Amino acid sequence: MVTGAASGIGAACALELQAAGVPVFGLDLQPASACDGHAVVDVSDAAAVDAAVAQAGRTLGPVRYAVTAAGFYEQRPLAGVGAAAWRRMLDVQLGGTVNVCRAVVPALRADGRGAICTIGSELALIGDGDAPHYAAAKGAIHAFTKSLALELAPHGVRVNVCAPGPTDTPLMTPELRDPAYIESLVLRRLVEPAEIAATVRFLLLEPHTMVGQVVSPNAGAAM
Amino acid sequence: MSGLRGIAGRTALVTGAGQGIGRAIAERLASEGARVACNDVDPVTAARTAASIGGLAVPFDVGDPEAVRAGVAAVEDGLGPVELLVANHAVMTMAPFEQTDPDDWRRTIDVNLLGTAWLLEACVPGMVARRYGRIVAVASEWGLTGWPNAAVYTASKGGIVSLVRSAARAVGPDGVAVNGIAPGVTDTPQLDVDARDAGLSHEAMVERYAADVPLGRISLPADVAAVAAFLLSEPAGALVGQILSPNGGTTT
Repeated sequence: MVTGAASGIGAACALELQAAGVPVFGLDLQPASACDGHAVVDVSDAAAVDAAVAQAGRTLGPVRYAVTAAGFYEQRPLAGVGAAAWRRMLDVQLGGTVNVCRAVVPALRADGRGAICTIGSELALIGDGDAPHYAAAKGAIHAFTKSLALELAPHGVRVNVCAPGPTDTPLMTPELRDPAYIESLVLRRLVEPAEIAATVRFLLLEPHTMVGQVVSPNAGAAM
Repeated sequence: MSGLRGIAGRTALVTGAGQGIGRAIAERLASEGARVACNDVDPVTAARTAASIGGLAVPFDVGDPEAVRAGVAAVEDGLGPVELLVANHAVMTMAPFEQTDPDDWRRTIDVNLLGTAWLLEACVPGMVARRYGRIVAVASEWGLTGWPNAAVYTASKGGIVSLVRSAARAVGPDGVAVNGIAPGVTDTPQLDVDARDAGLSHEAMVERYAADVPLGRISLPADVAAVAAFLLSEPAGALVGQILSPNGGTTT
């Protein structure tokens, strides 16, 4: 189960998991047609997410891994983030992550295996002076993920956060493509979606004891 | 082989490869198709690991900068320039820090922290010249959290974390990714030392540690080796100056 699977990081994760032999059911506002199955869903709608997880189970088998990549980025100063923008950001980022986890966790817990990788952000680690609601919502995902990790670890289910740095996706604003900003990164380049996907694949599929960890492929933006 | 890109055909140097985590990393890299040089201060265990994986034994004391330079040159002669470096060696003494022998302080810093620095010094210029390298330094969960009666060890490991970040900033632009691993308690021969001190069997010691781990078990060397192998792979290149913590959830 990969959310945000139609583009950017979600699409790259879907591709990477498929390459590893894992059939992928994609959720997105757009049809994630490259996946083995897909549903057009707003992840902030809990009932729709439940229905999609049930559909995935019927068509591809029980969900064993989940990647919660659905999200959006926008820049607003604090004064410009009204109640509606706060709610939408939190509903999609934190709410969407929680909805997916709530839908897939019972089966994972019952099976005593599987893994979840949420998508946080390097900006949750260092803050974002241009997007306080985004950074706060991603920070909430980090704290939620660590908590879920502690809850599920005794059941053999590993939960971690991948916290991408500036990644070359459709979400990138012109400000983040500014050559001066890119030059400020240790690697002097943006992160490729495939690099995020490689990290997600590692966290989900490799045998290891990473639990409740934040792993941040960020080109050196935050250490 | 798990299909991690960028390990097959490359030359790797793993220090402290005679046992425990280092041995598991050497085995994993060999299984991924790397040419592996196995270092240990003990020539017998270095040779044993090398023989078991078809690698090259390069015993030397990482605390001696001359020996490190000569050892890295021997790897280059035997297997080619080091492209993947794993600084995993460590010594450990447990004592209240105010009662620690100054020689124990010096030896621990010399081996754990400065040994890592000498390895970077010997391997990094070639990686920069070739515009490619992957370096993993093994620190410790305790190096991040601190631990009573382990100040000497944790200070050396905390120093490694800081060294990793500075080195990552310095050589990241040149295609060399430097990262660290901070393992939690791992089932290695070092654990026998703890067991002896606690008057417990190996199994009882493992059980006691596992009781505090959310995952319900302590790490095996192979769990840590999986993290190292990922960080040494080509697509992990966007990770720079990061510390990954396979600890079963004891520190999140």
